[in-house]
Amino acid sequence: MNDFAKILLRTGVLLLALLAFHRSATASVDDAQSFALQAAEPYVKQGFQVREDYWGGDLGSGEKKAVRQQLFKGNEYWFWLGTEVDKAKVSVHVYDSDGKLAEQPDGWEKGHFAAAHVIPKATGSYFIIVSVEESPEERTHWALVYGFR
Amino acid sequence: MSVLCGVALSASAAQAPQHINIKQFSTTVEDVVVPLPNEIFGALNKLGTVNWKAHVRSDKGPNFTERPRIALLLGTVIADGFIAVQAEDAAAVKDIGQRVLTLAKGIGVGDSITPHAKAITEAADKRNWENVRRELDRTQNSVQQAMNEVHDEKLSQLVSLGGWLRGTEVLTSVVTEHFSADGAELLHQPDLLSYFQTRLQAMPEFDVPILHQIQDALVAVKPLIDVGDRSIPPESVKKVKDITTRVGRGIVTRD
Repeated sequence: MNDFAKILLRTGVLLLALLAFHRSATASVDDAQSFALQAAEPYVKQGFQVREDYWGGDLGSGEKKAVRQQLFKGNEYWFWLGTEVDKAKVSVHVYDSDGKLAEQPDGWEKGHFAAAHVIPKATGSYFIIVSVEESPEERTHWALVYGFR
Repeated sequence: MSVLCGVALSASAAQAPQHINIKQFSTTVEDVVVPLPNEIFGALNKLGTVNWKAHVRSDKGPNFTERPRIALLLGTVIADGFIAVQAEDAAAVKDIGQRVLTLAKGIGVGDSITPHAKAITEAADKRNWENVRRELDRTQNSVQQAMNEVHDEKLSQLVSLGGWLRGTEVLTSVVTEHFSADGAELLHQPDLLSYFQTRLQAMPEFDVPILHQIQDALVAVKPLIDVGDRSIPPESVKKVKDITTRVGRGIVTRD
């Protein structure tokens, strides 16, 4: 390999490393939100109004967080969780204020997407438990959006 | 999108515990997403026919100079937009869209609202109510994001509070007219009320009488709706209606 090729190779490797660093440094909750919204998209056709507002943050592998939300009996809700870390595994589950599982059985998890379906039996506060089950990153951004009809 | 449809069909959730101890979650997210008025109106609609036209309000109202008052009024007017959508009143929706734009300009966030106000007018012309609802949500979100960006989070919270008060005023008015236990149960929002109380207490710099009146109103409303597993009786609904109507009048009236 001549000197020019070596320099080219080293520069290329450096650029790739910089790109990877930049990507991880600039990845944000907003990126996670776009994935959560992607998960929600098919449900809009079913008449769900997806809220513009959302919750977000970052979690380590195996960590959970609780989000409290007011739900109204008579409505039907879906909560969608997403992260931009595509090798992460996330989950979301919904409990009532007594800590009893309150979701329908058709919730789903697939890698960096997860969703939970709730038809509240009572009007009041519910707890949505978001979790990063596994992730190659030390901290993983997450975003949770919800829709209702 | 189709990939995700497939995901939804093929992937199932791992077994979640049937019970958890909520108190173990010391890491509860403090951010609150305040429900939109139409989230409550939608649930109310399912209980029976509502004469939404009777609740439409699209008058221009006064112009305030105090930013907290504008923020409160802005939230109220956005809630009025949702009511006009329920009533499918295109003219009122368009008037409200313009009013929202004027108020947003009054607190320096007009630029973020202009495209939404335009979209509201276009969707109202086409009587595309789903789009109007979505644009109203986007309007509120854009206003609040613009406020948060310039560290006016407290004004942003007042927008939510204004909307919540107007929504509660209309909810109690509808339920008082045709009482049902399920309708009254929609008032069961004690945590949300506590959230607003806490936020208001953290705004001592906004020394405007209407905020003191709202604080007093929330104190009076709390025991009426914080009833645990018990039902909310018609008298309580009527009291909440009277309180929120009085406060609502204060929000849209010059001192």
